[in-house]
Amino acid sequence: MSKLGVFDVAVRYGKVPALSDVSFTVEEGERLFISGPNGAGKSSLLKAICGAAPTSHGRIEVDGDVLNGRSPEAIARLGLTMVPEGREIFGTLSVEENLRVGTGIRRDKSAIETDIAEVYQSFPILGERRHSNAGALSGGQQQMLAIGRGLLTNPKLMLVDEPSLGLAPNIVDQVYETLVNLQKDRGLTLIIVEQSSARAARVGGRMVLLRGGKVVGDGDAAKFAESDLLNEAYFGQDNSKETA
Amino acid sequence: MNAIPQLFFDAMSLGGIYAMAALGIALIFGVMNLVNFAHGEYIAFCVFALIVPSTDAVAVMFIGKAPAILLIPMLLSIGALVAVASEFFVFRHMRNSTPVAMMISSFALGFVIQNTLLLVYSSRPKAVSLWPELNKPVSIVGASIPLLQIIVIVTTLIVVVALALLLKRTRIGLEMRAAAENFTMARLLGVRANVVITGAFALSGALAAAVALIMVTQTGVADVRMGGQIMLVAFIATVIGGLGSLPGAVAAGFLIGAASVILQGFLPLEARPFRDAFLYTLVIAVLLLKPDGLFAPRSSKPRV
Repeated sequence: MSKLGVFDVAVRYGKVPALSDVSFTVEEGERLFISGPNGAGKSSLLKAICGAAPTSHGRIEVDGDVLNGRSPEAIARLGLTMVPEGREIFGTLSVEENLRVGTGIRRDKSAIETDIAEVYQSFPILGERRHSNAGALSGGQQQMLAIGRGLLTNPKLMLVDEPSLGLAPNIVDQVYETLVNLQKDRGLTLIIVEQSSARAARVGGRMVLLRGGKVVGDGDAAKFAESDLLNEAYFGQDNSKETA
Repeated sequence: MNAIPQLFFDAMSLGGIYAMAALGIALIFGVMNLVNFAHGEYIAFCVFALIVPSTDAVAVMFIGKAPAILLIPMLLSIGALVAVASEFFVFRHMRNSTPVAMMISSFALGFVIQNTLLLVYSSRPKAVSLWPELNKPVSIVGASIPLLQIIVIVTTLIVVVALALLLKRTRIGLEMRAAAENFTMARLLGVRANVVITGAFALSGALAAAVALIMVTQTGVADVRMGGQIMLVAFIATVIGGLGSLPGAVAAGFLIGAASVILQGFLPLEARPFRDAFLYTLVIAVLLLKPDGLFAPRSSKPRV
């Protein structure tokens, strides 16, 4: 059974369509990149999945549960978590408080403390600064905190929106290394919005390519790097074809 | 004569009332960007809940007859209940509206409460004698001040500390602070919007009830319009404190109380009737220098 299914989904802001006819499925434990130029609808797609943007058409399912129309807090309880664009950490809360915000939905209360300790082990800098305001962390540290905060909801599926945004290249490498390791350790399903398809190809995984709110490609990220589909998606030439 | 301690106690007790009212407004603004102008009417409602519904000039105590140990929790619950009910029946249906639309509906709700009170109790201010013994002066550090002032100061401190503990140490407090900073993100992490908002309204209503108790003991009057003046000052305090900042609301409440008492004490005699004009000039000056308020919450913009 597939973990996440997106069927015929459309999202519109007022009269402006942001997504239309978007369909794909993601298997349990898979790593899926969503790529495409600015305005392709990548963030809208993630927002629709986690309940932050209403869908105007179609259906989104996780393990048979329909997500459309549910509140973001209800969707979080189904095991989806979001690491949003720009991190959106709570700057006036301490590092540890940030980590604890999402633990309210967990039933395994006893595991929370070990999970927090584990996050501090993976990101020692967060442990050192656990009592300071999260707003004072650097961009890379905030990204780690946002990932850690998402992990503490004990998710099955993690949506990560543009983790490389505004970070130095070596920090981006670290972020991806972390994500890949997490997936190995926890069997997490990952959906990552990544504008750089070269980066996606290097990390490896499947890629769904969006353009103008539609899926124009779906296949192995490494193969996209060789095909000319990417150029078409980014620079025009409207003859969309499928790559395997 | 001991003018300085006297002024100090006046300033602290007036500031305490303003601070508690401002907290009630800031709490709700924090979680739903609503400036709730019905807050003053919650205060008036709680005052009138003390007395038997009638149009007579002298009030007969109703809930007000109960001993303090019952009366206080009862009135705090009534305040919380009115606030929660107004959220349930009015503001819940406006969650996706603009802040301006919500603010205007809070005015409307305020008028509904005020006119209901007018209908039941008439517009004549009533004499209410609640705990009159608290207005007897006691002598402290050479100043002779009413016992009530000390109670107000102590109550404010207890309320502020209790609220700080609630926000810092409890699950719901953590969720409220997270929601106040970034409501959507908090919900994405599973924080239930309804629980947090209902909690904020309940606390806000209980604070209104506390202010009501203090005001009625101090003035001995129940007046349908009594919420308006304090609401205005409390709103100004939340703006000066930096909208959404709870410590800011408390600090600014005390600041306005102090400024008001100091102006009253030191303005030349012929200028004293215009004290409020001086006070609001100071407010304008503060806002010109610090448009976001004195204690605006630190921005959480992503850093690079």
